[in-house]
Amino acid sequence: MTKVDLTPAFLIHRRAFKDTSLLLDFLTLDHGKIRLVGRGLRNSKTQIQVFQHLKISYSGKGDLKGLNNWEADDTPRQLKGDSLILGMYVNELISRLLHEQDPHFELFEIYKNFIESLATIDTLSSRWLLRLFEHNLLQELGYGVNLSEDIVGEKIDLTAKYEYQHQDGFVRSVTGKILGKSINQLLIDDIDNMPDTQQLKVCRDLNRMRLKPLLGDKPLQSRSLFFSK
Amino acid sequence: MIETLNKAFCALPGVGNKTAQRFVYHLLERNREGGFELAKALVDAMEHVKHCSSCRTLSEKNICNICANDVRDNSQLCIVETPTDIHAIEQSGVYKGKYFVLSGYLSPIDGIGAAELGLDELEQKLKDQNVEEVILATNATVEGEVTAHYISNMVKQFDIKITRIAHGIPIGGELEYADINTIAHALSGRKSYN
Ligand SMILES: [Zn+2]
Repeated sequence: MTKVDLTPAFLIHRRAFKDTSLLLDFLTLDHGKIRLVGRGLRNSKTQIQVFQHLKISYSGKGDLKGLNNWEADDTPRQLKGDSLILGMYVNELISRLLHEQDPHFELFEIYKNFIESLATIDTLSSRWLLRLFEHNLLQELGYGVNLSEDIVGEKIDLTAKYEYQHQDGFVRSVTGKILGKSINQLLIDDIDNMPDTQQLKVCRDLNRMRLKPLLGDKPLQSRSLFFSK
Repeated sequence: MIETLNKAFCALPGVGNKTAQRFVYHLLERNREGGFELAKALVDAMEHVKHCSSCRTLSEKNICNICANDVRDNSQLCIVETPTDIHAIEQSGVYKGKYFVLSGYLSPIDGIGAAELGLDELEQKLKDQNVEEVILATNATVEGEVTAHYISNMVKQFDIKITRIAHGIPIGGELEYADINTIAHALSGRKSYN
């Protein structure tokens, strides 16, 4: 019998379960991604929502444990428009890439910061915020890449161009698309130190390339739904 | 036979074995006539109710009564998640336009995308008909908001006004009993008052 009291969590996804219940996926601070049954929650007046910092209590035996109690530990947050879409995309990433009950303390904080920032920044900065999140997520999952040196061990030159070689790292190349400066900006991980629009796209493609083998043949639904046009 | 009927009743939402048993004995012992009526009505409905080819709500006819009603305003189109939402809005009696039923909301993780919600049909409808206003009446949940956002992006290509139903404090409700999300929503959606 497991019993957890008021652990910090974010709801990542919810779906209907039987008549009146919900099947809930959470990202928790202490236990990573977990799936719980919220009995009778479907018709509850105050609905449990994604993008809110929550405290949840749950217990149970075996695979499917039950949510006993939840409370919001947050100010109300309404993500709108573009921010909402980016939030959904990140939730799909979490849902797809994390294994259940595999704790990622760092990632919880990274996700929390991401959601909090998302509600307040402009569209262009939100793209950079997303790139930093993807990078940190990959790092947390053990798919980090050396952002300080290229594959032959030379320090990344801010003025040089690079190409990414899968799982090995960056190779200096005159025809490369990635600027050394952008690689360095990923390393610095600062929302205010952002590449220009064109290099932002390069960073997007870089992250796509890095995520692809992890996602396998099944493309991200939210990507085709929201970013195709 | 009794056991089969028992199991069949369990298909109803909120009905477990105990309740099903009560239904079965009630019909068999006290109300056979009602039982026959129920059986006939069920078979009829299951065989003949389909989706309206215009708005996708449940209907026994190819075109539902609301869509077929010429008195109703064709220039307003209200987008809802379920047929029961239509019922709720109709009971209020304030809306005279037409509807479109999504039968759900966008949920990328569950693989529910634009096609599953009939959004290509909706797009075609907007092209073919003289809709002047699309009213987004999806639920005030994050999922409902995502769906509304997606549809509003699609509608933008047409010269059509897009509105979203207001969300806030229930009429007759007191502020202190409303949850903080509702209050935040109500405040950010406030209107000028005169
Ligand atoms: Zn209809």
